[in-house]
Amino acid sequence: MNTKLSYDIIGLTLFAGVILFGVPALFSYDGFELNTFSRYLSLAIVSMALALSWGTTGLLNLGQAATFGMGSYAMAMHLKLKASGDGLPDFMGWNNVETLPLIWGPFQSLTFTLLAGLLIPAAVGGLIAIFMFRARIAGVFVAIITLAFLVAFQLLVIEQQGLTGGQNGLTGLAQLVLFGWKIDIYSVSFYYMVGGCLMAALIFGLYLTHSKFGLVLRAIREDAERTRYFGYNVANYQTVIFCISAGLAGWAGMLYALVLEFASPTYMSVSFSLAIVIWCAVGGRESVLAAAVGAILVNLAEGRLSDVFVEGWHMILGVMFLVVVMFMPRGIYGLLVDAGRALRRKPASTKEALPFDTPLNPKQES
Amino acid sequence: MDVVFNQAFAGLSIASILLIIALGLAIIYGTMGVINLAHGEFVMLGAYATWALQTYAGLGVVTALPLVFVAVAAVGWIIEKVIVQRLYTRPLDTILATWGIGIILQQAVRLGVGADSRFVSGPHWLSGNIEIGALVMSNYRLFVIAFSIMVLGATWLLMTRTEFGMKLRAVIQNRGISECYGIEAKNVYSVTFAYGAGLAGIAGALITPLFSTIPTMGTGLVVDAFLVVIVGGLGSLMGTAAAALLIGEVTALFSIVINDTLGRIAVLAGIILLIRFRPRGLFPSDIRH
Amino acid sequence: MKRREFLGHAGAFGTMGLAGGLSVPALLSGAGRAYAAGDDIPVGLLFSLTGAVAVVEHTLHDAALMAIDEINAAGGVHGKQLRAIIEDPASDPATYSDRARRLMIRDKCVSVFGSYTSASRQAVLPVTEQRENLYWYPTLYEGRECSRNVMYGGAVPNQQQDILLPWLVENFGKRIYMIGNNYVYPKEENNYCRILLNELGGEVLHEEYVPLGHSDFSSVINRIRAQEPDVIFSTLVGDSDVAFARQYRAAELDPEKMPVCSLTRSEVEVKAIGGDAAAGHFSSAPYFMSNDTPENQRFVENYKSRYGADSVTHFVSEAAYFQIYQFKAALEKLDPANLSPTAIRDAAVGMSMMAPQGEILIDPNLHTHLWPKVGQWQSDGQAKVILQSEGRITPKPYAAYPGQDCTGDGLVKS
Repeated sequence: MNTKLSYDIIGLTLFAGVILFGVPALFSYDGFELNTFSRYLSLAIVSMALALSWGTTGLLNLGQAATFGMGSYAMAMHLKLKASGDGLPDFMGWNNVETLPLIWGPFQSLTFTLLAGLLIPAAVGGLIAIFMFRARIAGVFVAIITLAFLVAFQLLVIEQQGLTGGQNGLTGLAQLVLFGWKIDIYSVSFYYMVGGCLMAALIFGLYLTHSKFGLVLRAIREDAERTRYFGYNVANYQTVIFCISAGLAGWAGMLYALVLEFASPTYMSVSFSLAIVIWCAVGGRESVLAAAVGAILVNLAEGRLSDVFVEGWHMILGVMFLVVVMFMPRGIYGLLVDAGRALRRKPASTKEALPFDTPLNPKQES
Repeated sequence: MDVVFNQAFAGLSIASILLIIALGLAIIYGTMGVINLAHGEFVMLGAYATWALQTYAGLGVVTALPLVFVAVAAVGWIIEKVIVQRLYTRPLDTILATWGIGIILQQAVRLGVGADSRFVSGPHWLSGNIEIGALVMSNYRLFVIAFSIMVLGATWLLMTRTEFGMKLRAVIQNRGISECYGIEAKNVYSVTFAYGAGLAGIAGALITPLFSTIPTMGTGLVVDAFLVVIVGGLGSLMGTAAAALLIGEVTALFSIVINDTLGRIAVLAGIILLIRFRPRGLFPSDIRH
Repeated sequence: MKRREFLGHAGAFGTMGLAGGLSVPALLSGAGRAYAAGDDIPVGLLFSLTGAVAVVEHTLHDAALMAIDEINAAGGVHGKQLRAIIEDPASDPATYSDRARRLMIRDKCVSVFGSYTSASRQAVLPVTEQRENLYWYPTLYEGRECSRNVMYGGAVPNQQQDILLPWLVENFGKRIYMIGNNYVYPKEENNYCRILLNELGGEVLHEEYVPLGHSDFSSVINRIRAQEPDVIFSTLVGDSDVAFARQYRAAELDPEKMPVCSLTRSEVEVKAIGGDAAAGHFSSAPYFMSNDTPENQRFVENYKSRYGADSVTHFVSEAAYFQIYQFKAALEKLDPANLSPTAIRDAAVGMSMMAPQGEILIDPNLHTHLWPKVGQWQSDGQAKVILQSEGRITPKPYAAYPGQDCTGDGLVKS
C-alpha cells in the first residue's frame, strides 16, 4: 500500500509541476492560451469525478453532465443577478416574469452560490443514488437511468425559459468578484485558481481512493454481492461516492461557467456526457489522476486537430476513441502500468493488476 | 372525442416507427448484450441509401427497401467483424466503441454527401388519407404501421421457426454449451448484428418521406429506441413491441394534454420509475445471462 | 483543408505527442501585435461545418467564402488580400466561444463573420465585447439586442411582420395558429405578432412550442385539424420545419384553406421538403432566390457555378454574402495602416450598397435596412413574390418594447 501511495504522490507532484509551472511557462504567460487551458482544467475535474464513480466503484454514470450543468447554472445565476443590478435579469422580462423567482433570491449571496454549486448537485446525485441503489440496480441499468434522467433534466431546463433562459442559457454575466478580487479570466491568477481547484480535487480523490473507504469501493466494483456478504452496506457506499462525484462535477461546472462566461443547456447534453466518459476512458478510468490527464489530453488534441483539419477533426477524434477503446481498454494509465511492469522485468503475471500496484506517471508532456 | 381517436392513431404511428428502430436494437442487445449507440447512424445510413437509390437509380422508397436492408446489413456485418467482435467480453465498453463508430459514420456521410438536408419523395400511390368519420389516417403512416407489424412477425418467425433462430436462441441461453454442439457463436453474432443493422436501415428508409434526412438525424433516435428496449425487457420481441406501443400512445396522449416537451419529460420519468421497480422490463423473457 | 503551413506543423506535433504542440502556439500569439499588420487582412469565418446546424450554416460559410474570393480575385482591399481563417464550431455554443477567442485574440482578426442561432451569437458576445472586436451576424433574429460590437445583417421582427400580418389577416382571416420551436426567437416573434394582431383585431387560437429537432408532428397536425385556423404562423427551424411540412402534406391539409406562413422557411428548407409539399405556402423574407435584379443574377450564377447547379441561395446566405461586401466597403474608407474593428464599425454606419435584394443601408444602431417581401412557394422550389414593401424598412429591434430603443449610442430607455 505504501509504495502504491508513493507512486501516486510522485505522479501528482509531477502533474502539479507541469500544470502549475510548465504550462504557464510554455505559453509564456499568454492570456489567451492560459484561458483555453483553464477550460481544459475545469473539464479535468469533472472527468476525475467520473473516475470515482465509474472506474473506482463500477457505476457508469451517463448523467454526469446534469450535475455539471447544475453547478454552472448556480454560478451563472449569481453572476446574472450581479449584472442585472437591482432589476430583474433581462430574459425574465422577456418571458413575462414579473418578480424574481424564489429560487433565484439566495443566489445574490456569493457564499450561498458557492455552497449551492457544490451541495445541490451532490444532493441530487445522492437522491438518484438512493433511488437506484436501494433497489440494487447495477450495471447497464445505472447507465440507462442516469441517461434518461439527463435527457429529462435538460428538456426541463430548456422548457422553463423564464427561470433558466431556455435554449440560450444564461448569458450577459458579470465578472465574479471574490473577496474584493475582480476575476479576469484571461489572467494568470485565474489560471492558478482553476489549477488550484483541480489539485485540491485530485488530492481529495487520491485520499479517498487510498483510504479504507476506497478499498471497499473497489471491492464493490469487483463483486458487489460478496462485499455485501462481508457485511458492508453496499448501497450506502455507492450513494456516498455518487454524492461526492456529483458535487465535484458541480464544482467543475461553476469553474466552466466562469471560463466561458455563460451557462448553456448544451452543458447537459447527452453528447457532452458521453464526451466526459470518453476522456475518462482515454486517460484511464481506474485512476483519478489519469482521468484528469485524459480530459486535458483529449481536449488539447481536439483543439489542435481542429486547427489543422477544419472539416475532418471530428472524424479523427472518432477514430482515436475507437482505437483507445479497442486496444487500450485501461487507457493511457493501463499502458503506463504495463510499461512500468515490463521495465521492472517482472514476469507477466496472470493475476489481474490491482489499480495501485504500479507506478503512475503522467508523462504527457515528456 | 374525435381528437382522442386521432391521437390514438398518432400514438400508433409513433409506436410503429419506434418499434422498427428498436427491434434491431433489441435483437442486438438481447443476443449479445451490446449497447449499440451507432444504431441511430444505421438508421441514418438507411435514409441516405434510400436517397441515393432514388436519386441515382430512380427507385421508390418501397422498392428500395430490400436493397437498403442488404446495404446497411452489410455495413453492420463489417463493423461487427472488425470492431464489435473484439469487445464481447467488455459490454460496457461497447457503449463507447459504438459511440465512436457513430461519430465516424456521421462524419463519413457528411464528408461524402454533404451537410445539407436531402430530399426523398414519398411513394405517390400511398399519398392521401383514409377517413372514417372524424378519424383521418394518412395512408403512408398506415403503411408504416402495417410494415412494422410485418417486420415484427418476420423476426419472430426467424427466431422461432428457423434453424438460425434455434442456434441464436441456444447461443443466448448458453454460449459455451452451444459451441460444444458445434454452433459457431461468432457467426451467429455477426449475422444477428447485421440483421439488426438492416432493420435500422429499413427504419431509416421508411421515415425519410416524413422526416428530414441529415447526417445527425440518428442521434436523437437512439436514446428513445434504447429506452423502448429496456422497458420491453431483455431479449423479448413481444415486450419490445408492447413497450413501443405503450410509449407511443403515452407520448401522443401527453402531448395533447400538456405539450410535447412536458409530455416527453413525463414519459422519461415514467421509464425511470419502471426501470427502478421492474429492472427486467415489462415482459422479461426467461432467458438467463 | 489546411489553413496555414506552420500550423500544420503544430498539428503534427499535436497528434503525435501533443507535447510539441504546446510550445508552438506561444510563438503564434505574439502579444500586442497590431491588427492586420501583415500583408493581408485576417478575417474570421465562424460557421458550423459539422453538427445539427451545419445544414444551414454550411451554406452561409459557402456564401461568405465566395464573397471573399471574389474580392481577392478583384485585387483585394488597398492592395491587400483578405485572408479567411476558417473555424468549425460544430454547432456547440461552448465551441463557438472557444473558437471566437481564437479568432479574435490569437489570430487578431479585424472582424469575425458567423452564427445562425441566437444561442451561438450570445456565446460569442462576451469575448467580442471585451476585446472590442466586430461580429457580423447575417441571420434574422428576435431583436431586443443592441450590442455595439455586432453588425446585424438579418431581419428583426418588425421587418418580417409589419407588411405580412395585415396582408394575412385581410386575405386569409383573423384566426391564427402559432407553432414554433421552443427557444427565444419563436417566442419573441410570437410576442410581436400578438401586438400586431391586437391592432388588427386578430385572434390567436393556439400557441405551441416543440423542442428543437422535434420531428413527429402528428399531434400538432391533429390539433390543427380540430381547430381549423385560417393561417398557421410558423417559426419552426431547420429539420423540425422540414418534418412539419412533409407531414402536413402527408396529412393532405390544403394550403389554399390553411396556408402555413413561415418566417424561417427558405430555399434550403424547401429543397429538403420538396417543391410539391412546399407549394402554396408562404414565407416572409427580405430576399428570395428568384429575385430579379442584376446583382442577384450575378450572385446566383456565381454561387451555382461554384457549388453546383442544384445549390440554392436564400435570405441568410444572401446576408452572409453582402456583409462581406459591406465589410470591404468599410475597409476602403479607412487608412490601411490603422485598421481596427471599431473603426470598421464606425465607417460602416450609414453606408448603403446594392445587395441582391435591393439597396440596403446600415443603421446607426448597426442593424440593416431591408426590403421585406412575402413569397409563395412554387412546385419548382422557388418563391413567387406576391407582396413587396414599398420602401426599405427601418430595423426596430425593440419594437415590441415601448420605452426602449436601440440607437447609435446603444440601448436607450425612456
